Amino acid sequence: MYNLHFTIGEHHFFIKTPSIKIKEFFRHNYLLQNPTNSTSDLAIYIEDGYGLPFIDYEVSVIKTHNEIIYKRADYLIKLDHSYNNAYLFIHDELALKHALMNLYSSYIVQQNWGLLIHSSCVINNGMAHIFSGHSGAGKSTVARLSSPRELLADEATIVKITSNDVVVFDSPFRSELNGKCFPSPYKLESIHLLNQSLSNSRERLTRGNSLIQLMDTVFYWTESSTDARKIFKLLHLLVNQVPVYDLYFQKNNTFWEMIS
Amino acid sequence: MQQYIKKDNYETVQLDHEWIIMNTDHFTVTKLNDIGGFCWSLLENPQSTEALTQSVKVQFHLDNLNLSIHIEDFLRELMEYGLIQHAV
Repeated sequence: MYNLHFTIGEHHFFIKTPSIKIKEFFRHNYLLQNPTNSTSDLAIYIEDGYGLPFIDYEVSVIKTHNEIIYKRADYLIKLDHSYNNAYLFIHDELALKHALMNLYSSYIVQQNWGLLIHSSCVINNGMAHIFSGHSGAGKSTVARLSSPRELLADEATIVKITSNDVVVFDSPFRSELNGKCFPSPYKLESIHLLNQSLSNSRERLTRGNSLIQLMDTVFYWTESSTDARKIFKLLHLLVNQVPVYDLYFQKNNTFWEMIS
Repeated sequence: MQQYIKKDNYETVQLDHEWIIMNTDHFTVTKLNDIGGFCWSLLENPQSTEALTQSVKVQFHLDNLNLSIHIEDFLRELMEYGLIQHAV
C-alpha cells in the first residue's frame, strides 16, 4: 500500500492506494510532501480497475444516509457526509483526473471556501488573471500566447472567495501544460470571457451579467439546492470584488496591452 | 381572481439596477430590471395581475394601457421558469 500526502489550495490530502500506476500519477502531477503530524482535510482511498473507458461527462449523484455517490462510466466516488473520507474507484488516468476535480469541486463548495472555474489563469505583475469561455474560445491559446508569464491553470482555476478577498491557487488540474506547484496564492485582478476577433477590444460587464456568465464556467456536479445556493452566493461575492470583461482578442499576445 | 406567489426554491441578489434570481432546483438564472425586481419583491405575498399592475403604476408613475398585458406576460414567464406558483 502506498501512502501519499499533498496540498491542493489550502487543503491537505492523504492518499492511500495499492496501485503503483496511481502512485506514479501523483508523483508526476503533484508536489508530494512528507507525512506530517497534522491531520489531513480529506483522506482518499483509490483503487483502479473500475468500469469502462471514458464514454461521456454524465455523472449521476446519489445521496444515501451514509454517503454521497458520484458515478460515471469510468469512475465511482463515495464520500461520507462529513467530507473527511472518500473512496475512489477509477478506470484509468483520465478517470482519476476527472474524479479528483469532481471531488475537489464538491469539497470546496461544501466548505463554502471557493469555486473551481473552467478557465486558464495567468500571472502578470504578481496578480492573477482568469480567461474563460466556451469550448474552443481560446483558453489554451491565451495560456500559450501569454508565455513567458507563468500559469496557475490551463483548464480549471482554483479560486478562494471570501467577503473581502479573492485569490487563486496553483491548480494541479491541467490539460496540457504542467504546473509548477506555486506555493502561495495570487490576488485575482480580472476575469476575461474570451472571443477570438480580428481586432483587440474589451468591455466591462455589469455585475449582473458577470454573475450570469460565470454560472456557466463553474465546474459542479451537484443536484443539491443547498450547493446551488452556495455557488450562487460565492459568485455574488466574486463579482462584487473582481471586474469581468468580454475580451475580443487577436491570436497574438497584443491583448495584454489592454490588461497590463 | 387568480393570484401568484413565489416558490421557495430561489436565491435573489440585487446588483446595481438588475435583479438576478436563481432557481436553485434547476440551476437556471433569470435577470430582471427595476420594474421586474419590484414585482418580484411584491410576490413575497399573493398578488393578482391587477394588483401588481396597480402597484407598478403608482411606484413608477406609468400610465401605459398595455401595462397589465406586460405584467401578465411577466407572470407567465416566471411560472415557466418555476419561480412562482398559483397562490391557494
